Order: sequence, then C-alpha cells, then structure tokens
Amino acid sequence: MEAGRGQPKAVVKSVQGGGKRAFYLTVAVLLAGGIGTLSYMSTRGTGAGLIDTTIPPIPNQGHAIGSDSAPVEVVEFGDFECGACGSFANLTEPDVRARLALTGKIRFRFMDFPLQGHPNTWPAHLAAWCAGEQGKFWEMHDAIYQNQDRWATEATRKPAKVLGELARQIGVGMEQYQQCMSTEKYRPQILANSQEGARLGVNVTPTFIFGSRRLPGVLPYDEFKARVDTMIAEARAAQGKKQAK
Amino acid sequence: MTRRMLTALVALVGLFVALYLALHKAGVIGTLACGTGGCETVQLSRWATFLGVPVANWGVAYYALVFGLAFAATTERWGNSPGLDFSLWALTGWGVLFSAWLTYLELFVIHAVCRFCVVSAIAAIALFALTHVERRAGAKR
Repeated sequence: MEAGRGQPKAVVKSVQGGGKRAFYLTVAVLLAGGIGTLSYMSTRGTGAGLIDTTIPPIPNQGHAIGSDSAPVEVVEFGDFECGACGSFANLTEPDVRARLALTGKIRFRFMDFPLQGHPNTWPAHLAAWCAGEQGKFWEMHDAIYQNQDRWATEATRKPAKVLGELARQIGVGMEQYQQCMSTEKYRPQILANSQEGARLGVNVTPTFIFGSRRLPGVLPYDEFKARVDTMIAEARAAQGKKQAK
Repeated sequence: MTRRMLTALVALVGLFVALYLALHKAGVIGTLACGTGGCETVQLSRWATFLGVPVANWGVAYYALVFGLAFAATTERWGNSPGLDFSLWALTGWGVLFSAWLTYLELFVIHAVCRFCVVSAIAAIALFALTHVERRAGAKR
C-alpha cells in the first residue's frame, strides 16, 4: 500500500513556505556542523607525545629481540587480546624483526600492558611468560596473536585450554608450563611492566616508545622505519656532541 | 516541520555518526588502537565487518539512502510518488532489525558497548517510528 498515491497536491504544498525554509536551514546547519566536527576530529591529537623523564622508573623487564649492542631500542607496550596489537604483530612486526632487529639496527622490546576491558588477556600474558621460562617467549607471542580469534573473549570464556594447545604445539614442556600457569608465577613481572607503561603515559595499546617519544596505534613498516631512522640520527648526533666536548 | 522532514533530519544525524565510525575504522580519525573505550573493542572485533565491508560503511550507505529518499519525499515533485513511503518504511524496518542484531552482538558476544553505535540504534528506531506513522497516516488519507 503506497502512501501518497492519490494524495491531493495541497498536502504536499502545505509543507512549503516557512516550514520548508526551517527544514532547509536545519539541514544546512547539520551539514556544516557535521563536516566541521569530523574535520576537527581528524586533526586533533592522538595521545602521541614526549615522555616525562623526571618520574623515576619502575623496575621491570620485558622481552627483547635483537642485539644488546644495538644503537637504539624500540619498546612496544602491548595487550595480547587487543586486535590492533594483533594487526601489528601479524602484519608489521615480522618486517621489524627481520629488517631492523635481526640486522642489528635496533633492539625491539615487548612490554606487557594488559587492558582491563579484555577478560582473557591475563591468561595469555601469563602463558607467554611461562613459555618464555623455557626459552619460547617469541614463539608463544606469535602463536597467541596468530590465534587470537580462538582464545579471545569473543570466542571463549575459558582460554586456558587453547593457550595450552598452542604451548604444546610450539614445543613447550607441559608439566613445567602447567605449574607456572597455576601459580601465576610471572604476575608480578607483568604488573611491573604495566606500571612502567602507566608511568610513561601509555593508555592504549599498542603504544611504541621511540627514545623519548610515545606513539600510540598500529604503525605500518615504512612509518616505523622512518621513526627508527630519526632515532638513530638523533643518537648519533648526541654521541657526536659528547665526543666533541 | 513534517514527519518526512524529521525523517530526513534524523537520517542526516545517523549519517554523520556512521561517517565518524567509518573514518575511525579507516584510521582517518583517531588511531587504530585498543583502549578502555568500547568503540575500539567493537570496531576491532571480527563483527565490525559484514560481507567483507566494514559495518560502519554499510551504515553510511544506509543513512545516505534514507536521507535521500526522505528528502525527495519533501519535494513537490516526488511528494506524491507512489511507493516512496513504503520504500522508506521497508528500508528503516530493515535498519531496526540490523541494529537490533548489532546491539545483541555488543551486549552478549563482544561484551562492549560503543556509544556511537547506541546513538545509531536510537536513530534507526526513530526513523522506523516516523516512517511507520507516516505510512499509516498516508493510508488513511
């Protein structure tokens, strides 16, 4: 039943005049306001900034890949249940490791930053540390991110089983792993990493620390590399100044 | 202000909300990162894509279409067009069903609520209510 059929023209015409002008004006105001608001939001700050170096550091220990003698270190604060961290780990990090960390240009450190909104993230962080106890942190890190859809809160309320399967698949000794998981052995280290992140002003994941700069959000490889190049150039310039003195 | 005009205005509000979410998903607004906000959790979930296209983009297309039709219905040329009210009614009815499905996912599957999605759901309900009343009124005329 189509409304409007056989409707007198007067009905349509009745909406003209003052009411129609008010309507067009409201449409124009909404269009201008909407476009203006979206433009403003696209240019405002994203949480990136400089780190306050006056606050004393908290003893912490992440997991690093790359040489101890690398000229600079890049730190990632990550959450295992975070989809954006998963994107970075699966898409960008392989290049970061192969082309920057394993070639001696940087040392790449992963620091735990479990977010409150992710109920399954803690077991994943504990699992990574327990695998790390047996020298398989990065293998577990990769398996956790690659299988996020199997153990994250959207998929299950009991992530321990899937995480245990992943640990077994990468060759972790299960007796030691289970004991480590049941005692939550590395909870203090994970908390310390998280507190260090909070000290540095981290509030979203992933957040990267390039020297004294904090940069939140997923970075494509080219942008990551450009940041590293800047950081190395600054480190060299600082070294040059020291030697000149 | 007629119901058709109100329909167009509500659709325009919904269009900007969907546009914000689409730009956020594309990384143009804000950063692609997880935080304490429910929008990030929802946007980064596997449910944020439908038939290979971000749900927010579907929202932009939906609200743009509703706005276009409702705007046309306010003009003298298209105001008496047969089927326009029915099209709007059917389209917004589908919108309510789709919003209900997304709200269910937020509450019971993703366990996070995005406030912009809530605004969109309210807009979808308002649009259906307006087009339903308009269609009934049209039938009586």
